[in-house]
Amino acid sequence: MPRNDPTDTGGLFIGRRPGTAPLRYRTEPQRAGERRRRADAALAALVLTLEAVVCLTLWGPQPVAWLWVGSQVDYRADSITLALLVTFAGMMATLMITLGIATRLDRAWRILRRAAGHDQQQGMLPRIFAVTAIVALVIFSIWFWIIQGPSPTLAPTR
Amino acid sequence: MPRFFDYYRQFEELAPEEVSAELRAKRDAEKARALTELPPLDLTSPAWHEPPHAEIVNAATFALRRAVNAYPDAGAQAVREAIAERHDVDPAQVVAGHGAGELMRAACAVLLGGLEDAPGQPPIPRPDEVAVAWPGWGPLPRLVHEAGGRPVPVPLDDHGVPHVDALIAAAGERTAAVALATPNDPTGGVVGTEDLLRLAASLPPHAWLLLDLALDGFGERPAPAGGERVLAFHSFSKAHAMAGFRAGYAIGPPGAEALLARLAPVGGVAAPAQAGMLWAIANPERAVPRRRAHAAAQRKRLATALAGTPLSFTPGAGPLVWLSSSQHSGAEIASHLAARRIFVTPGSAWGDERHVRIALRGEAATDRLAEALAEL
Repeated sequence: MPRNDPTDTGGLFIGRRPGTAPLRYRTEPQRAGERRRRADAALAALVLTLEAVVCLTLWGPQPVAWLWVGSQVDYRADSITLALLVTFAGMMATLMITLGIATRLDRAWRILRRAAGHDQQQGMLPRIFAVTAIVALVIFSIWFWIIQGPSPTLAPTR
Repeated sequence: MPRFFDYYRQFEELAPEEVSAELRAKRDAEKARALTELPPLDLTSPAWHEPPHAEIVNAATFALRRAVNAYPDAGAQAVREAIAERHDVDPAQVVAGHGAGELMRAACAVLLGGLEDAPGQPPIPRPDEVAVAWPGWGPLPRLVHEAGGRPVPVPLDDHGVPHVDALIAAAGERTAAVALATPNDPTGGVVGTEDLLRLAASLPPHAWLLLDLALDGFGERPAPAGGERVLAFHSFSKAHAMAGFRAGYAIGPPGAEALLARLAPVGGVAAPAQAGMLWAIANPERAVPRRRAHAAAQRKRLATALAGTPLSFTPGAGPLVWLSSSQHSGAEIASHLAARRIFVTPGSAWGDERHVRIALRGEAATDRLAEALAEL
């Protein structure tokens, strides 16, 4: 642990690296036994999986569902503008709700990790968000370029 | 179920706002404590309380960076020439050393060391006494003892000034030297130029006059540079604020080169100290008059504050005052001040139970001292 008090460093100000500040609890936690900690670690893994699944829904199921809703609106109201508006607003609303849920899951995961005996300072949400986006992009690319195939004008199938 | 969740709630970290609020509260508590805490005020050291002129530090730093791997000029030729020019004497009459005190130690050793008696012959009586104006510079009696001599205290006059007639009367066959300081440490009393010349002229032909001029920068007029059998010791610790350099010099009479050479430190004075001395001796007007005026103003400020109280101090020059009370002993004054975290030197260090020596600093310190003394 680097000493960053100027009185310890001959007057030099040595900044603490970002994210290395010690965790500050309201009171010193009273930790449970080994079995409880192992159970908390398993629970933390489960919550992390759930968090990943929730984030993954952002990149496939939710857009598909709202496109279906939009198509229904277009069919019933005969208005493409209204359909686009409903689809966009709906996607934004569920995006916010999903992120809210994911944030809470992430907080629960951090607490479970600490209960399991780890000095968990940061959550995993940004990384899960990025990884699931990349996974979704890869899956979409495979579907778009390989399963569905390139445009017929470039490589006509019939 | 609530207990189940309580277990996990204890792992929740404090929000950044809560951390900031906690740190702010801690800082406020420290600030409040700092306001109520009374810092200690050390008024025991005769060294000047502020740093030396920045150019002195620059000169010393330059010397450090230039060739500190090499030995300094052991003879301190440039310093001695500058000192000689300042005092209008020959450079051969000047010796640079590690402070006036160290040079006085060497002088005592040389003047009192003398020749050993021949084996089998009866001892030859030779001068071994040093008449010391007392109270004077504290370590001097010890230095005389260490050199094999016997210090003979000669009381000051009623104004805290070394008593020239008493010193003349005390100088006899066994007197190797007469020592006095002007301005005197601890009283600040200043011996006039005429009295100094009279003293030098009245001493027995074998006796030397050791003139401690460490506080000379605070006197209205500089003491005379020297005379026959006069050794004048100057310091850079007080008026030049260079106590940490341990730098000083002595001036002797013409023809005393051999004696002066024996006062010089082996290997000379350190190069940074020589550089600082050189600048200080060439530019005394850049800082010394200001410090002299500052010390005089603080003496006046304290005297004004003590007017009408049983406390008083002898008139004089320099940042040291020799304070006494008609109602309290020196120990009582010192302990009263110490209880208020103001530390002074009790006169018992000089064998005097009535006085304390106080080293004046800035206005705030003087006011705090006067306030504390008013509660005595």
